[in-house]
Amino acid sequence: MFIQHIIGLLTDPVRQWEKIREQQLSGASSPVGHVFILALIPAVSGYIGTTQVGWRIGVGEPIRITGDSAFAIAIIYYLALLVGVFSIGWVIHLLGKAYEVVRPLSLCIALAAYTATPLFLIGLMEVYPVLWLNMLMGLPALAYTVYLLYTGLPIMMEIPTERGFLYSSAVLAVGLIALVSLLGMTALLWGMGLQPVFTN
Amino acid sequence: MTNTETYNYKVVRQFSIMTIVWGLVGMSVGVLIAAQLAWPALNFDIPWLTFGRLRPLHTNAVIFAFGGCALFASSYYVVQHTCHAKLAFPALAAFTFWGWQAVIVLAAITLPLGITSSKEYAELEWPIDILITLVWVSYALVFFGTIVKRKIPHIYVANWFFGAFIITIAVLHVFNSAALPVSLWKSYSAYAGVQDAMVQWWYGHNAVGFFLTAGFLGIMYYFVPKQAGRPVYSYRLSVVHFWALIFTYIWAGPHHLHYTALPDWAQSLGMIMSLILLAPSWGGMINGIMTLSGAWHKLRTDPVLRLLVVSISFYGMSTFEGPMMAIKTVNALSHYTDWTIGHVHSGALGWVALVSMGAMYYMIPRLFGRELYSLRLVEIHFWAATIGIVLYIASMWVAGIMQGLMWRAVNSDGTLTYSFVESVQAMHPYYIVRTLGGACFLLGTVVMAYNLWRTIAGAKGIEVEIPAPASAH
Repeated sequence: MFIQHIIGLLTDPVRQWEKIREQQLSGASSPVGHVFILALIPAVSGYIGTTQVGWRIGVGEPIRITGDSAFAIAIIYYLALLVGVFSIGWVIHLLGKAYEVVRPLSLCIALAAYTATPLFLIGLMEVYPVLWLNMLMGLPALAYTVYLLYTGLPIMMEIPTERGFLYSSAVLAVGLIALVSLLGMTALLWGMGLQPVFTN
Repeated sequence: MTNTETYNYKVVRQFSIMTIVWGLVGMSVGVLIAAQLAWPALNFDIPWLTFGRLRPLHTNAVIFAFGGCALFASSYYVVQHTCHAKLAFPALAAFTFWGWQAVIVLAAITLPLGITSSKEYAELEWPIDILITLVWVSYALVFFGTIVKRKIPHIYVANWFFGAFIITIAVLHVFNSAALPVSLWKSYSAYAGVQDAMVQWWYGHNAVGFFLTAGFLGIMYYFVPKQAGRPVYSYRLSVVHFWALIFTYIWAGPHHLHYTALPDWAQSLGMIMSLILLAPSWGGMINGIMTLSGAWHKLRTDPVLRLLVVSISFYGMSTFEGPMMAIKTVNALSHYTDWTIGHVHSGALGWVALVSMGAMYYMIPRLFGRELYSLRLVEIHFWAATIGIVLYIASMWVAGIMQGLMWRAVNSDGTLTYSFVESVQAMHPYYIVRTLGGACFLLGTVVMAYNLWRTIAGAKGIEVEIPAPASAH
């Protein structure tokens, strides 16, 4: 079922979203496992990429991070991903009041979890951490995530698409704000001296 | 009682058309200088085509020419409609149009020649500054004169925002541009050293707060309810966030001067006021979004509403990002990097440009008595603009963080890990993506210009009678 959901969301998202909704409402599956497993992809790839492969800026030796430091970052990264997905699910649930569709929290978390699938999968590219290449590959994945949100939200919430457009836009804005907060927190932590340890 | 007086649509039409024209010019220059940063050879070794001279031309053209004309057009339209009164002082209103166009043309000539006061967003030399003052005082007389003539006791909230914007910009402009002329095209600021820097950023940040925020909130408060066909979600909220916004914004300027010679307490005050600013900003966003939410059933047939939804979402995002970047520790990393450029453009492209364009789609067909030529083209514009903004800000986020980290990196012996030019070299791919994003946004603007041109081609401006105000309920 886990693999089926992934393939379904990539090939026939509308039908897959309907299936996911039915399974959620009947209590046949939980999105929690999906998130726990898929969030491992970017965390583990990032660890391998920054310790084994490294990246190059301009000329010179590739830059790497020491194993201990990278391990700590990978754990924080993994936890941040989990917190991110679950809190966005919670925000979807809260926003429901403004859009007059109150749906169970588990359904909202499932929406957040399955929407993030393309981003989790593309996390594999962090094995080869070349920033501009990663950005080039990440953008289509991001676009598909946004597409999944806009198709999935009206289906999961069972509301008309136009109403879903507004609701999804609000969720997207929350997502952007979460992203910006992440940038800000990185800058804050780095400023306070909690930065990675480089090998060179 | 029959009321045969008509609205003054002529000056609104003139400003609306010039909004589109200057939008095309200013954004084209923006794409050119973005391309120059990726491929420096594009300045062709011609002094007036270099980045240093074209950058102020770009900012002046998009902020004061495009944004300014949009504000003149929409405030003149809104104040007449919400007061049921014709514009006061028609000759002064005409002078504001021709005077403002003269300012823009003078800017377009002097800036490429390298004539500049070197104050950011206030680069124009003193003779032009005097002309701006004359135009602005006339603008205030026309606007407030119309309010005085109003036929209904209530002053609609959009006019409060326009009024605050007009008064504050007058004060900011006069104080910041105070200078001692030494020749026709050269002057020195009346302030010295850190005082000059503080006055400059008191002006600079309030150009953002009042020109680019309060004025455009005025646009939002009229055109969003009109396009949605619904009343404003909460009048109480609009009044509360109005006073909170104008009280707080004026103090936020020092966050442009963190870790400079400015006294530390002034920096901290600026940071705290910037953080508080989140609340009134989000008050406006919530009011806009909730007004639109009730009109969801119209989204299928009205792509202009989508443009407004995205615009208010970007307003919410950038007013969260701003206070965060004003935190000193975050600013230590983000300042002087392209993160700032990305932040400015998520506000300028996402919020200011899109809400203006939404207002133009509403106003221009009505000013000429025509239907909008094509909704399909509005949809294309919507997608081109949205994708353009996302490419722009995403590339600047990555570029900015990377610059901040590279400039800060030190080796174990305390020497810098990277030379400055290495960080410049590392920016190349992001500058290409940024140029693409800007080009995408410009493409959307071209589509809009074509759509509006087809809408009004061959049409004569119309005269519309001012309806008598409805009797009190």
